[in-house]
Amino acid sequence: MSQGFGPPPPGFGPPQYPPGAGGPVVHDAHTLPADDNVNPYTFSVHLDGQWFLQRGKMIAYYGQIDFHGLGHGPLDRLVASSFHSPLHAAQWVVAQGRGRMLLADRAFDINSYDLDQGNLTIRSGNLLAFSPGLALKQSIIPGFLTLIGTGKFVAASNGAVVFVEPPIRVDPQALVGWADCPSPCHHYDHSYLRGVLGGVRMLTGLGGLSGEEHQFEFAGAGQVLLQSSETLMDGIDTGSVPWEPGMPGGPEGMAGGGRGPGGRGPLPF
Amino acid sequence: MALFRLQGSRVLAVDLTDDAVKARNGSMVAYTGKMTFKRLTGGGEGLRGLVTRRVTGESMTVMEVKGFGTCFFAESAAEINLVRLDGEKLYVEASNLLCTEATLRTGTSFTGLRGASEGHGLFTTTVEGSGQAALTSAGPAVVLRVTPQTPLSVDPGAYVAHTGNLRQHFQSGVNWRTFAGEASGEAFQIRFEGDGLVYVQPSERVTVGGQI
Amino acid sequence: MAFTQLTSKMVRADVAPGQVVFSQRGAMLAYTGQVTFTPSITGGQGGLGSMLGRRIAHEAVPLMTVEGHGAVMFGHGGHHAHVVDLSGETLYVESDRLLAFEGSLEQGTMFMGSQGGVMGVIRGQVTGQGLFTTTLTGYGSVAVLAHGGVFELPVTPQAAVHVDPQAYVAHRGDLRNRLSTAVGWREMVGRGSGESFQLELSGSGTVYVQASEEKL
Repeated sequence: MSQGFGPPPPGFGPPQYPPGAGGPVVHDAHTLPADDNVNPYTFSVHLDGQWFLQRGKMIAYYGQIDFHGLGHGPLDRLVASSFHSPLHAAQWVVAQGRGRMLLADRAFDINSYDLDQGNLTIRSGNLLAFSPGLALKQSIIPGFLTLIGTGKFVAASNGAVVFVEPPIRVDPQALVGWADCPSPCHHYDHSYLRGVLGGVRMLTGLGGLSGEEHQFEFAGAGQVLLQSSETLMDGIDTGSVPWEPGMPGGPEGMAGGGRGPGGRGPLPF
Repeated sequence: MALFRLQGSRVLAVDLTDDAVKARNGSMVAYTGKMTFKRLTGGGEGLRGLVTRRVTGESMTVMEVKGFGTCFFAESAAEINLVRLDGEKLYVEASNLLCTEATLRTGTSFTGLRGASEGHGLFTTTVEGSGQAALTSAGPAVVLRVTPQTPLSVDPGAYVAHTGNLRQHFQSGVNWRTFAGEASGEAFQIRFEGDGLVYVQPSERVTVGGQI
Repeated sequence: MAFTQLTSKMVRADVAPGQVVFSQRGAMLAYTGQVTFTPSITGGQGGLGSMLGRRIAHEAVPLMTVEGHGAVMFGHGGHHAHVVDLSGETLYVESDRLLAFEGSLEQGTMFMGSQGGVMGVIRGQVTGQGLFTTTLTGYGSVAVLAHGGVFELPVTPQAAVHVDPQAYVAHRGDLRNRLSTAVGWREMVGRGSGESFQLELSGSGTVYVQASEEKL
């Protein structure tokens, strides 16, 4: 029991807020935080240059900011250096200009993460935005994206993110992502299905397949990021990788990965 | 005088001493003391606007709660935002108005294009007078100040309310293009200019024009 | 206590040999150490008879037994979870709101209809659930699910509390409950509908109310 579910390590997680006293806090173009949370559900980007945003996540901005869909001519070089995934182009926008820009996603909790020559793999539906210092690549685990390099990115989660060190086994639906540790492997708990009660359960179908039977197992040094959810946030399409000999899964298994674009998920409360 | 306070961030507590508040019908979750309830429909100061405007076909009704004690209001786990008005006018999406002191006047205001883009009809609810109002939002609202030097652009789906002397107009946000260069739709924002405060929620209703 | 509130939606339970935890099936989010999960038909001491009774009452929520040595994190559906620590009293809670509870607590069911006459019947209609409510008695922790989080309202002999049945989550202490209706309320919500009643709780204790009129 020594493996703690501790507080986030330095550099991770949103700041803590004192309980509000008095009336509502009014922000303006100058007092909005620079690259930090406004509240646990809203992140303020101090834009001076470019950021990449998932479509639909910008709620308000001050200043001179233009938004371009991917494939817009002048930014093709930037896109080529930051996107290494056959992403569904319509899901991403480049914000360009100067100002303060607020990001949010269906009132889910928002965290920002700093990477310094690091890498972090995250569920595609949880990623909101990232700075151009990072390169986005498709993870070998379907439905996950890997960010590599130095920079900042912003991600949503259902409830605050909890950081855990391996070894740990995780219900796939509660997994937000992982940093620095090797990719997970599958773990099946066969004892869950054994015995009289398990047999009754198999006969009656009570319960169905659940996280108690199948987990992602993490080992090695690193951090695993967890959220409280069994209703997944909508995945975004990570695109499909053309199959070639040596690719896992075979020609059929490689298509897609996310749960497809579009659709709005349930609200987090 | 009715006292509005927060019980946590998602429950509004109103202490009543033989006075009344207007609240969205069905939003009472608990009360102590003695309360009477009265349905308000159609009549009164522009309340018909509240009742009939919703495009969803679902009519929204308002109740008057009067009595002694504490009444607790909540709405589908939405966050509560308290607004104190000292004579100014609050513009708020009807679906975001939870409760007002009975002394405040509610009405409707024509907002033109913006409403149309939101699928919310062409009218916005107005609240006027001196007293307290409680707004709901999906996630706690961020209150943003607009000055003549710092106009603000807001996603229509994240807009909740505003006060002050603000002009608003539509602004084109982004041209969506596919990799082949074909246009695939356009997104819009509302641009606020002037002097005032805008309440924005960290979530977006489904809109026709938003989506950045 | 063995339960720790990690976030508003996640609870950690420490499990050690000899200390069983029961949880809703599928509510395990992650675990460390050596922990086994076994589907439990009875959910502990209730016994098969109790379980059958509860199935008839549509109150049975599949439970599992959690044993071993380690730490387990629980959450469900992104709902808020609230830890209630009991020291000898009884908590009354609808079973589909139970996220997890310690095996040291004695589990039972209570026929709500026997308390306050028609209340149980009406509440069954209102909430779509049975006339039975789960009781947990003794010393230990319970994690309860709610839409939007819960707040506690104290009930004293001088101050009864009225609750919208849809927003009611649980209660503890020496409370009587009955159906009541405030002046004007039935006219407002429509006669004959179950919603025209409120739960009135009186006596000494605490009632837990959620920030929503929506059932889980």
